[in-house]
Amino acid sequence: MVVARLEAEIPNPGDYCVTHVGETPIVLNRDQGGGINAFVNRCAHRGAEIVREPFGNLADFTCVYHAWCFSPQGDLIGVPFMKGVNGKGGMPPSFDMREHGLTKLKVARWNGVVFGSFSDDTEALEDYLGPLMVEHIGEIVGRPLKLLGHQRQRISGNWKLYLENVRDAYHASLLHEFNRTFGLSRLTQVSGGYMDARHRHSLLFQYAGSDQDAVARQAYATVQRGAYMTLNDSEIVRFVKENPRGITTRIISVFPNAVFHQIYNCIGMRRVRPLGPGALEVLFTMFGYQDDDEAMTRHRVNQANMVGPAGLISMEDGEAIELVQRATACEPGRSGVVEMGGIGAMGNLDTRVNEVPVRGFWSYYSELMGIEPEGALR
Amino acid sequence: MIIDPLVRGLVDDLLTRSAMLIDRDDLDGWLDCFEAESRYIVMPRDNRDRGFPAALIHCDNKVRLRDRIVCLRHANKFNPHYDRHIVSAGHIRSVADGIAAVELSFLVAQTTKTGVSSLFCAGLYEDRIRVAGPSAKFVERLAVLDTFSVPTLLATPV
Repeated sequence: MVVARLEAEIPNPGDYCVTHVGETPIVLNRDQGGGINAFVNRCAHRGAEIVREPFGNLADFTCVYHAWCFSPQGDLIGVPFMKGVNGKGGMPPSFDMREHGLTKLKVARWNGVVFGSFSDDTEALEDYLGPLMVEHIGEIVGRPLKLLGHQRQRISGNWKLYLENVRDAYHASLLHEFNRTFGLSRLTQVSGGYMDARHRHSLLFQYAGSDQDAVARQAYATVQRGAYMTLNDSEIVRFVKENPRGITTRIISVFPNAVFHQIYNCIGMRRVRPLGPGALEVLFTMFGYQDDDEAMTRHRVNQANMVGPAGLISMEDGEAIELVQRATACEPGRSGVVEMGGIGAMGNLDTRVNEVPVRGFWSYYSELMGIEPEGALR
Repeated sequence: MIIDPLVRGLVDDLLTRSAMLIDRDDLDGWLDCFEAESRYIVMPRDNRDRGFPAALIHCDNKVRLRDRIVCLRHANKFNPHYDRHIVSAGHIRSVADGIAAVELSFLVAQTTKTGVSSLFCAGLYEDRIRVAGPSAKFVERLAVLDTFSVPTLLATPV
């Protein structure tokens, strides 16, 4: 079960977009009845990609190669010259259009988020997410959304390095100097790294303002080698409280491919897709809420300066992932050490000096892939 | 439309000089190419085409642009590289009230510190340039990226 897109990306009947499950291209569309359908973007006839534009609005889907036509649900509804011409050629009598639909995905919708799966045997969505993720993601997406646009980035690293990065509570103020300088994220704050019961998803969070600058700067004295910078326009680090808890930043990773982020008032969803073993693409979908006024939209667009490939915080993640890829791909079979937050049983910790959610990811991944060593902790 | 040769000369000088300043990594000099009241935005082409406001870099005023350059110099860690801009001749679409509306295409090649070059991005500048007396400066530079799936990261201004 993977996160496909937001419903807000295909708001009107006939709207479609191309997305991916792993490397497989998928067409996600909204039909005239408002239903959301997903099928593999591959003609049942000879395997050509059917949809060639990344998004649009269509009543049906016709392959350009031989003009086979499919319904929004992915059923085959038209085969040119199926019965041949003048009694010659055409499909054999045994050909049954009903048997040649597109490969369909099971679709589930929750709070405007669309999930897809190739398996009919999936957990109920809220069971899969678990109550903690339902609560926190629900706080971010549980209101009518206003799409603000996309950012895309291609990183020369294995896709799992990105999924480690978003579960790595420890790095946020060490790699990202912007975070520790302006107190968006510091290891001295009230913060934590929590997981679902099976440790496959994670929630990293903190409360800005819960530590004191002087105390934090003392704690980071060996890390911060030069003077701290200052901003002349501090609007970018202004926080408007929008959630009941007053959490200022949270990064919520949903196994396997999605991240929901709230960094102050910059909110969005990221989807990671592999491009072979050595590269990945991240698609950031930036949004606000339908009831945002113009000033709030401007504020979110301004705070979007912090995220994405050019983000004042997150540009470093692209660099860090490539550093790991370059130095590790050349020598498989070696290992690193992931012990921040302790060894043994995995659990939630009220600190970000914590890599346990990274272990949670690998634990579940190993189980699914059948590479879990005997006696491993789940 | 006949463009005053002096206006064209000043616009051409700004367009080529601003590109060379980035390639020389003289970002303070590049900042001086902007008016005190000015905007600099790097926008993915798909957002531009679909009318979405989200950008990659969105500096609504020069203070924010300066903050970004300070942050780049001081705090950000990114891939060490050289930039090389290739810009087309500027197409001056109009001149009104001392402001020239100009469009031009660009390519940016990035080269690693081990000497490997690749195309970083292609795109279009949509500029509004104030031409006053002996100088021309940007009132607005909108860089629309055709290459909106950014290779690795975008640190240095385009």
